[in-house]
Amino acid sequence: MQEDQFWLLVSLKLTGEATDEELAALEAHLLEYPEKGLQLEALQVLWKGRPPEAPYRKGESLKRHLQRLSVHTAEPAPPPVHPRLWPATAVNHKATGNKAIRHKVWGIAAVAASLMAVLLFFYLLTSKKTEQPVAQNTVTTKPGSKSKVQLPDGSQVWLNADSRLTYDESFRGPYREVKLCGEAYFDIAKDSHHPFIIHTSPIDIKVLGTSFNVRSYRNEQNTETVLIHGSIEVSLRSNPEKKVILRPNEKLRVENGKSLVVTGAPPPNGKDAREPVMILGKPHFLQKDSAVTEVLWVKNKLAFDQETLQDVALKIERWYGVKVNILDESLKQTAYSGVFEDERLDQVMEALRLTGNFRYSMNKNEITITR
Amino acid sequence: MKAYTQLYELLSDALLRFSYSLVKSNEIAEEIVSDVFIKLWQIRNKLLEIDNLKVYLYTIAKNFSLNYIAQNNKYKVVSLESIDVEAIITVGGPVEMCISADLVRQIRQVIRQLPSQCKLIFQLVKEDGLKYKEVAAILDISPLTVRNQLVIAIRKIGETLPTYLQPGILLAGKFSES
Repeated sequence: MQEDQFWLLVSLKLTGEATDEELAALEAHLLEYPEKGLQLEALQVLWKGRPPEAPYRKGESLKRHLQRLSVHTAEPAPPPVHPRLWPATAVNHKATGNKAIRHKVWGIAAVAASLMAVLLFFYLLTSKKTEQPVAQNTVTTKPGSKSKVQLPDGSQVWLNADSRLTYDESFRGPYREVKLCGEAYFDIAKDSHHPFIIHTSPIDIKVLGTSFNVRSYRNEQNTETVLIHGSIEVSLRSNPEKKVILRPNEKLRVENGKSLVVTGAPPPNGKDAREPVMILGKPHFLQKDSAVTEVLWVKNKLAFDQETLQDVALKIERWYGVKVNILDESLKQTAYSGVFEDERLDQVMEALRLTGNFRYSMNKNEITITR
Repeated sequence: MKAYTQLYELLSDALLRFSYSLVKSNEIAEEIVSDVFIKLWQIRNKLLEIDNLKVYLYTIAKNFSLNYIAQNNKYKVVSLESIDVEAIITVGGPVEMCISADLVRQIRQVIRQLPSQCKLIFQLVKEDGLKYKEVAAILDISPLTVRNQLVIAIRKIGETLPTYLQPGILLAGKFSES
């Protein structure tokens, strides 16, 4: 038997790839040359030699791998990375960062990623807090004055007296958000990708593009929303699950500072304690020109529609920037209706006096109503 | 996930050794093996389409290692034949092998001097217990080449071994063959 053949048989035997015939041939060869048996035995020992187990190192490398994997499993879904995932990268960087160039690159990537995560985190934090004074624009109207604001997206807002509108200076992000305290009429530029959200103390109003009036004064009992065109979605701040979709020429009234919700209730007339907090009703139309009373203020008309003297007084206070005191309790609940256009305070007061049969005195910016 | 970590524990050492032989850095080899298992995770839904997962993972490890070498080399194309392979092959101590310490050194020297591909094949078959066909598939060569390369390696090692037993070595392992 040739040497080549012998070594082939040996290698086949060692690797376990030999057939029975080949093993038999090897046996026969070894009988002929017994001295080669020693070489084979030594080779077999050498072949079986196994590296010593290193369980500790193995566990460490597995841990490092799983850390890296956790980063990678987050990768396919790009932007909304949860910040908590990133510390793993930072640890990875620490563990292997200062080795080869590849590790440096990895490390820089890790640092950059965690930096971005931190920035994202702060961005999310600040974008949620609309009260943040930085990068916030605030438009305020004093009693007796009105204002018209054009928002960065082209939307127009008429701000009634004694009101405040706050919005983010850049007006970017997934939502166009403003915060309203007081009364405003909105004509929202259409942008279905960036819903417009108005926050008031009891409700949030979500719109795509439409015009409507929101009235939410702190010192009034109710927050009212009247929709003129389009469609808006109103949700209670205390319970965002409760939503009401308003259709054109519908009015929603929400009691300030309560959390009970009932929809589809009868029209808002009675004012007893069991009255539901969210009331869907119709806005009031003036018979002449079918304009909605609730938004007449935009056209510089002071309108009352079956409103008590108490509410009328509040409106006058804001409209003219005065203080109105009603000294007689019985006068407060009398209801008044009427529209005033470009009229002076004394003209308005005179008209009310004639209708309501009361007396009043004016002293600088203070009006006192008596019987 | 449990199966995944078990697979990692089962194969990471061998893949690490394989990758190390090519890139010759423990850290980079570990990273490559990690990349291999990340790849495995990414394709976890297609695992049923793979015939031999072990061969598949070795092949990815080979490609990743060669990519790494190519990126860090001025020559863009890297083939297995052209790179210097540093094989990790366990050779027992003199006592367990009934041979002298000097002989163990000689054997190690012989293994070091084997051609690159031969070394790699020898390592994959001996240390990782892979079949000829598997090694052939991983390295993209014919099973016959694998067989022939192994014959070369085993013959070279075998011929350094003595054909007779020296009495003293068994007892003390201190005497050399001279």
